[in-house]
Amino acid sequence: MLEARLAQASVLKRTLDAIKDLVSDANLDCDDNGLKLQSMDQAHVALVALALRSNAFEPYRCDRNINLGMSLGSLSKIIKCAGNDDVVTLKAEDNKDKIHIMLEAPNNDRLSEYSLKLMDIDAEHYGIPETEYDATVRMSSVEFQRICRDLLVLSESMTIETTKEGVRFSADGDIGAGSVTLKQGGSVDAENKETATQVELNEPVTLTFSLKYLANFTKATPLSDVVYLSMSSDQPLLVEYRIEDIGYIRYYLAPKIGDAN
Amino acid sequence: MGVQGLTKLIGDHAPGAIREHEMKDYFGRKVAVDASMCLYQFLIAVRSEGQNLTNEDGETTSHLMGFFYRTLRMMDNGIKPIYVFDGKPPQMKSGELAKRGARRAAAEVSLKEAQEAGEQENIDKYTRRLVRVTKEHNTEVQQLLTLMGIPFVVAPAEAEAQCAALAAAGKVYGAASEDMDTLTFGTPTLLRHMTYSENRKKPINEVSYEQVLEGLEMTKETFVDLCILLGCDYCESIRGIGPHRALALLREHQSIENILASLDPDKFTVPEDWPYAEARRLFLHPDVADPATFDFEWKKPDEEGLVQFMVNEKGFSEKRIRDGIAKLNKISTTATQGRLDGFFTAAKRPAAAAGANAKKRAAPASGAKSAPATKKRAGGSGGRPRR
Repeated sequence: MLEARLAQASVLKRTLDAIKDLVSDANLDCDDNGLKLQSMDQAHVALVALALRSNAFEPYRCDRNINLGMSLGSLSKIIKCAGNDDVVTLKAEDNKDKIHIMLEAPNNDRLSEYSLKLMDIDAEHYGIPETEYDATVRMSSVEFQRICRDLLVLSESMTIETTKEGVRFSADGDIGAGSVTLKQGGSVDAENKETATQVELNEPVTLTFSLKYLANFTKATPLSDVVYLSMSSDQPLLVEYRIEDIGYIRYYLAPKIGDAN
Repeated sequence: MGVQGLTKLIGDHAPGAIREHEMKDYFGRKVAVDASMCLYQFLIAVRSEGQNLTNEDGETTSHLMGFFYRTLRMMDNGIKPIYVFDGKPPQMKSGELAKRGARRAAAEVSLKEAQEAGEQENIDKYTRRLVRVTKEHNTEVQQLLTLMGIPFVVAPAEAEAQCAALAAAGKVYGAASEDMDTLTFGTPTLLRHMTYSENRKKPINEVSYEQVLEGLEMTKETFVDLCILLGCDYCESIRGIGPHRALALLREHQSIENILASLDPDKFTVPEDWPYAEARRLFLHPDVADPATFDFEWKKPDEEGLVQFMVNEKGFSEKRIRDGIAKLNKISTTATQGRLDGFFTAAKRPAAAAGANAKKRAAPASGAKSAPATKKRAGGSGGRPRR
C-alpha cells in the first residue's frame, strides 16, 4: 500500500514533463525511502533516474515495496489537470491494477479523483557504477538550455570541453560552426550569484554528445536554477538537476565516438 | 537450409527469446552478415519482370545492386557490417547438396513444361528455383566490398558457423542470417531479416540463444541434438519424430544416444549408419577461423574504383553510384552515437518489488496462453495492460 501526499502539484507536473518524452512507459519503484524511477530510452542511448524522497511528502506511507508500471504520458496528462498549488495524493493498494490520484484545490472546495491503469513493464534495471568524475561543471540551467537550443541550429552534436579556465560548448555542422565559452566564476545573471559557473577539474575532458538528447534533458530546467554536468573521458555524461529538498533527476548520456571504428 | 520447424518451436516454448526491432535500433553495432545467403537472396529477389538485372552484355548484376544498396542502408543506420562468405562445404553436407541437385533437376523439367505451356507465373517460379550462385558472383561481390571499404571474411567452411564464432568471441554484436543453423552453431544473438528490402517493412527478429536454451530447458549439447532430430543439413532425421516428439524425448532422455536406446525399433526406423554423432561434432566444433586473428576496418570507399567497376563495367547509373559513395563518405566522417549498454550493466530489479510483481504476472499468464507466440516489442513500449 502506497500513500503519498505532495503539497505542490507543480513539482510533479514539471518532473513528468522532464522525463515523459524520453521514456514513454516506466516502473515507479516505491519503498520506505520514497519514489524512484529508472529507465533507458528506447535506443539505449540515455538513461533517466528520478528520485523523490519520502520526506518530500506529507504524509508518506509505503508498507511494502511495490513497483507501479505506467504510461508516463498518461500520468502527466492527469497531473496536468491539477492547479499549480493543488495538493496531489497518489494512492496504490498492493496487487491492484490501478493507481489513484487525488487533486485538492488549496481552499479545499474542489476535489478531483482520477485513476490510472497500471501495466506490466519488463524493463531491465541497471546498476550505475559510482564514478569519480574528471570534471564537473555547475552552471545556470537556463543558460545550459539556451546553449543547447542555439547550437542545435548548427549541428546534431555538441562538443563540451572543460579546462581550468572554464567550459566551452561547440558545434560544427553543414552550414557552419559555433561555440559558446563560459568563464570560471562568471555569472550570466548578475543578480543571482548562485548560478555562477564553476568548474571542478581533475583533468581536462572533451566529449561529444547528441544535441537532440541534451535538448530533451533541458526540459527539466524549471525544476532547478542550476545544472551539474559531470564528465570523464569515454564515459557517459551525467546531467543532474537537484530538486530542492525533494530529490533529483539524473540523465546519463552515452558519448558519440569520434573514430569511425 | 536451416533447421526445420525450429522457429515455431522457439515461438511456442521460449516466446521471450524472439524480439522485434527496427534497423535503427542497431546503430553502433557491428554485425557479421552471412554473405553467401545474401548473395542467393539477392539473385532470387532482385528482379525486374521476372528477370535478373543485367548490364548491356547480359551479365547478371542483381547481386551487386543488392549488396551495394543493402550495405548502404545498414551503414546509414549506423550498423557496421562484416560479410562472411562460405568456404568449402563440409563432407557431411554432400547428401544435402545432392538432394538440392535433384530438386534443381526437377525444377528444370518443370520449367520446360511451363515454358511450353506458356504459364508465366510458373516460369518465374521455376527460374527462381534454378538460381545458382557462381564463383564469379562471389568474386564480383568481394571486389565491390573491397572498393566500398567494407571488411569481409572467407570462412574455411560454413559461413553461418564463422558468423556464430565471431559473435561468440564478442567481435560482433550478432550474426545476421536467415538460417536457423546459425543458432545451432551457438551465436549468442541471431538477427533475421537484416538484409531484407526496406519496402517489405519487416522488422528485424532478434533471437537470443541464452533465452532459447532457457525456454527449451536445454543445454548447448541437447539443443544441438534437438536440431539434428528436427532435420539439419548434415544428416537425415528419424521418420515419425516431429518437433514436439523430439522436444519431449530429449527432455526425457537428454541425448540422442539415450533416445536410441529406448526407442521402439518397430515403430521408428532409424536411418542406417546414422551419422548423428558426426553432425553433432560439426555443430559443436565447426571448422572456423580463429576470431581473434581478425581485426576489422571500415575504410573510405574508393570512389573512382567504384565508378569504374559499377558504372563502366556493370552499367549502373553514375549518378546513383556517386550519390551512394557520397553517403558512405559522410557516414565515415560523422561520429557514431555510443550506447549506454556498454557502461551500465543490467541488474535484477529490487528484490522485494520483483517478488510482488512476479505474483501479479502469474495471473494474466493463463490468459496469454492462447497466443503463446506473441512477440514482445523490445524497449520501453513493452508494456501490456494488466487485466
